[in-house]
Amino acid sequence: MRKLFAWVVIFGLAACGGDGGARGVASSDPFCQEVIPRVDAFMAEAREANPTPDDERYGGTVVVAGIGEIPDGMNAAVSANYAARQHQEFVNLMPLVNYSAELEVQPYLAESWEVSEDGTELTFHIRQDVYWHDGEQTDAHDVAFTYRTVTNPETAFPNSAFSDHYVRGPEGVEVLDDFTVIIRLERHAEFLDAWTTLGILPEHLLGDVPPARLSQHPYGTQCPVGNGPFVFVSHAQQDRWVFDANPAFPAALGGRPFLDRYVYRVIPEQTTLLTELLTENIDIYIAPSPDQAQRIIDAPNLELLDFTFRSYVLVGWNSRRPQLADARVRRALTMGTNREEIVEAILLGYGTVANSSVPPFHWAYDPDAEVALDYDPEAARALLEEAGWSDRDGDGVRENADGLPLAISIKYNSGNQERQNVAEIMQAQLADIGVAVTPQVVEFGTLLQQINTPTLRDFDGVVMAWVTEFKLDDTNLFHSERIDQPYAWSGTRNPEMDRLIEALSVTVDRERAMPLWAEYQREIAEEQPYTFFYFPDRLDGVNRRVRGVVMDARGEWVSIRDWHVDPASR
Amino acid sequence: MSKYVLRRLLGAVPLVLGIATIVFFVVNLAPGDPTLYLLAPGMDADVIEQMRVNYGLDRPVYIRYVKWVGSMLTGDFGYSFTYRRPVAEVLMEFLPNTLLLTGCALAVAFAAGVVLGTIQAVRQYSALDSGLSVVLLFFYSMPSFWLALMLILTFSLFARNVWEWPLWFPASGMTSTGYPFLGFGEQVRDRLMHLVLPTASLALVLTAGIARYMRGSMLEVVRQDFVRTARAKGLPERTVVFKHALRNALIPIITLVGLYVPVLFSGAVFIEHIFAWPGMGRAIVEAIDTRDYPLVMAGSFFFAVTVVLANLLADILYAVVDPRIRYE
Amino acid sequence: MSEGVLPARGRGGRALSAVLPGAPQLLGGRVGAGAAALLAWTGLLWIGLTRAERVRAALSGPWDARLAAFTLLAGLVVVWAWSWWDAGRRYRPKTVAVSQWELAVRTFSRNRTAVAGLIVIGALYAIALLTPLVAPYPPNLQGNLVTERFVGLSAAHPLGTDHFARDVLSRLLYGARISLLIGFVAVAISVSVGTLLGAVAGFIGGLVDAAIMRFVDVVISFPRLVLLITIIALFEPSIFLITAVLGLTQWPSTARIVRGEVLSLREREFVQAAEALGYSKPRIILRHLIPNAMAPVIVAATLGIGNTIVLEAGLSFLGLGVQPPTPSWGTMVDAGRGNLLDAWWLSTFPGLAIVLTVLSFNLVGDGLRDALDPRLRS
Repeated sequence: MRKLFAWVVIFGLAACGGDGGARGVASSDPFCQEVIPRVDAFMAEAREANPTPDDERYGGTVVVAGIGEIPDGMNAAVSANYAARQHQEFVNLMPLVNYSAELEVQPYLAESWEVSEDGTELTFHIRQDVYWHDGEQTDAHDVAFTYRTVTNPETAFPNSAFSDHYVRGPEGVEVLDDFTVIIRLERHAEFLDAWTTLGILPEHLLGDVPPARLSQHPYGTQCPVGNGPFVFVSHAQQDRWVFDANPAFPAALGGRPFLDRYVYRVIPEQTTLLTELLTENIDIYIAPSPDQAQRIIDAPNLELLDFTFRSYVLVGWNSRRPQLADARVRRALTMGTNREEIVEAILLGYGTVANSSVPPFHWAYDPDAEVALDYDPEAARALLEEAGWSDRDGDGVRENADGLPLAISIKYNSGNQERQNVAEIMQAQLADIGVAVTPQVVEFGTLLQQINTPTLRDFDGVVMAWVTEFKLDDTNLFHSERIDQPYAWSGTRNPEMDRLIEALSVTVDRERAMPLWAEYQREIAEEQPYTFFYFPDRLDGVNRRVRGVVMDARGEWVSIRDWHVDPASR
Repeated sequence: MSKYVLRRLLGAVPLVLGIATIVFFVVNLAPGDPTLYLLAPGMDADVIEQMRVNYGLDRPVYIRYVKWVGSMLTGDFGYSFTYRRPVAEVLMEFLPNTLLLTGCALAVAFAAGVVLGTIQAVRQYSALDSGLSVVLLFFYSMPSFWLALMLILTFSLFARNVWEWPLWFPASGMTSTGYPFLGFGEQVRDRLMHLVLPTASLALVLTAGIARYMRGSMLEVVRQDFVRTARAKGLPERTVVFKHALRNALIPIITLVGLYVPVLFSGAVFIEHIFAWPGMGRAIVEAIDTRDYPLVMAGSFFFAVTVVLANLLADILYAVVDPRIRYE
Repeated sequence: MSEGVLPARGRGGRALSAVLPGAPQLLGGRVGAGAAALLAWTGLLWIGLTRAERVRAALSGPWDARLAAFTLLAGLVVVWAWSWWDAGRRYRPKTVAVSQWELAVRTFSRNRTAVAGLIVIGALYAIALLTPLVAPYPPNLQGNLVTERFVGLSAAHPLGTDHFARDVLSRLLYGARISLLIGFVAVAISVSVGTLLGAVAGFIGGLVDAAIMRFVDVVISFPRLVLLITIIALFEPSIFLITAVLGLTQWPSTARIVRGEVLSLREREFVQAAEALGYSKPRIILRHLIPNAMAPVIVAATLGIGNTIVLEAGLSFLGLGVQPPTPSWGTMVDAGRGNLLDAWWLSTFPGLAIVLTVLSFNLVGDGLRDALDPRLRS
């Protein structure tokens, strides 16, 4: 027995060497090996040149934990994941502009900008006091490089932001001088939205990489070099990311952040995450489930932050199918589902029933314009009768004149309890109005293939969710011209909707766009390509020792520069 | 003997090749591909197509197969889609973590299993024997992820917040956040603290199997003539059991070690998932989910090689320790 | 047979047995048989009396309800009849040499934990059959989503309700059927395939043996998780597919065991005699070798059922188990794992059910091994 105990200790000691030093597991890639010493050197210099101010808020480490890893890391040209984009926008990189709390665009990396009269030229003036973490200055060349890269088809930039309305490739950008850059575009609404999420990449490091190889470059996950408030320190796969405060962050933007260190941990199990939060091993738990919310509220040292997020859960109806071709049927399906009850029961009230793709906090949202198809089984039955579906053979399921039963399947992906809930509840409730629903679970990759392949479209209804940008654009979802593109699940061919979508995309002035949005919301209610379910609230569990945490629709990390730790609990 | 080993090794090559081929086709035939996960509204079909080109997925299957075979020979397994790094590097980063966890768990399980199995054999049919059987099998019968979660709740959450024990364990991870700043001794302690719960979860499940094996082996040995002789000679029971019987009973257990080697490398998927332990098992399962072909195939290949070698090791060990066995 | 008091015999014993089957055996010192009979009788009678209406309705209902009703009535009859017959038997201690099987049975019955395990398994399968009569609610019936979700242990719901306001006790009972079925069928598949291939390999030897053993090596070395996940992702995860896949990945160990047994049996005289008599190879394999090699296989099979049930829970964890809304113990444990702190009953009861079942199978398997392996008997 003693021998065995010794083995265990030896194992522990032997394995210690693995996590060596502050850098963690070193990358063997020559690019990283070259870049990292330069970053270390510059940071050492910057720390000397910018000593920490004498304010008790400075210092401390905050640990944030979430369920997923940050795929593609800080490589803004190839990543589409929410956590990755948040870290690029607020932690490690800098986009040109930001949203304020009121959703107005405000300067960030860009000091100012102008738009030409006809709206086809956008000129950015870049700040002159921003430096990459390896010492090079950030300038217009970086912006131009980033723009060329993301609009280059070879890069396969996954975010659609620049694909419409911007002039792609080298013709779309011109560098006037070191800090002025001109972007060419077509006149369209919310043209600055794309720039709020795109972290600018360093040309001096990535300029020589062929765009097609960019997605495999070690920059993203092994040695990202940014210019934002936090400097990358280390990344252990599927385990944690570590960032340190950037002492060289421009004083005009607030100087170095209060925190000394910020760690993002990956913990794939919800119960474990909750335990770690309750035992104070982590400070912030990103996206607990509504069932866990009460525990967080009850804990005296924790706080539950709760905000409406810009994602919505929907059931998409394939109007190519005969049972779902009639808009009246689709409206009846919505009216036959008690969405209020679902929000109450499943989300425990942490959500808002949705009636269109416009989130309730959005400036375009008009509560009066919304046509709410409230839960009304009587009206639903009436609509179905009107559309020619009645129960002719007394089996509880309606048929049309040709005898086709109103039997549909609703697919959802495995491993997602919430979507399973939606499908099963719909099954129970729609049975009441004479519709036979069969929930069908499909593995996620397979499901995506089934609904996205234009020649396949193998589904009747599908439970899905969209995350929208602040620039709302349903072109790819509902415009008839895109009907053979992957996302046209509903197969909508509605000239009114086409007209509205086109008009909205070119109306720049928000005032003038409001009535169009109102009309659009009414039209969506008519057409019901989806049954819009709800905008789930985003929940976050935060330890009270972390102050200055603001989380809203812009994201969880929006105020990370202001986060500071209560000195007493360091 | 060496001829036998050589023959087995040669035979292993087509075996591994066959497995690798099957894995390749099974994985590549699954519907969907890695690009599906990166889709967002507004992406053109062209962008998706470009992504697939970037991943090398546009080439026909047989060309990719040839490339795969080539990579097995050269050791260059390509780039992982999800980690954007050479697959070999990715696996090498996960491997030590898994080895640490499963190594500790197997060490504990073998130690406990041998001891408990011996006790059970010496006291066959007693209350202790039955009692131990029930207790060990109780833990063996639990779904391991449930056991892991119960351990976390008991020894991490309740121990700290509810019962306020002086000692409680962290619920996840290999090291704490402040690890790089700790002194050497504190680092060792930190690692051990993080090891306790995951190792316990795994070891509790493994011990039952080993104890039962040991019990059977011990029972067999104790009935043999040489033990009767030793007793007849008047040796104290203790010496008979521990000095004579135990050593012989351990022989088949040693070969069992060989059979548990694959567990060492494949990791324990559920435990790694629950404890956020960055290990091989979790990596491979997540790779299958995200259709990270190079990683899945390299991982499966690696696993197959370890199993084949482990079987060979078990057979060799058996021949080494038992002089009656001869392979031609 | 006990070594102590002889059971009550004659009219007295029979009269007691007519009213309370199992009692005379208990009084006579045969605890195992007596307890089992008494439990079965009282249990079945209680179900029958408290649910008389349902029993009557079940006789004309769906096939599983009819099966349940039939089991109930048949069970009552069988228990009563056996007890009646047994109470009237004369017992003489056997002093003459006993057969292998009798010896095995005696050793087994002396092993209390094994017998307890056997009783539990019997009870489980009986409950699984009787579920349509016993379960208080249909398994997929959703209550009021706002007020009845996550209700704790209460009178209306003895084991609480789940995310969809469904009764946990009823789902547990219906889940028993699925889990026990999967366990049994998967092991049946693996034992059949493994035994056949192992016997053929061991007996015929040579190239066939080498080929089959290579095949066994491939299957064993194959990363099972990869295969499971990919296959179940490719096709829909139906109960049939899960059972088939679980069965077809577990046969190699059985094959190896059987092959080992056959190798040693092959040299025995009775086999040589059979060959000398000119029996065909298949006949020898099927009628002579396999029955004699079955002992370790039976042990492995009982242990295998337990393993399979736990594996099924693991598959649910990966999202590949039995698909909702069909309940199975594995999916129930998995579904409750996000609520362990608050709605602890969701995972705990199915988890305990799994533990109890697997434990029982393992104890029975251990008992069988002790009973059937001549080297282990004291």
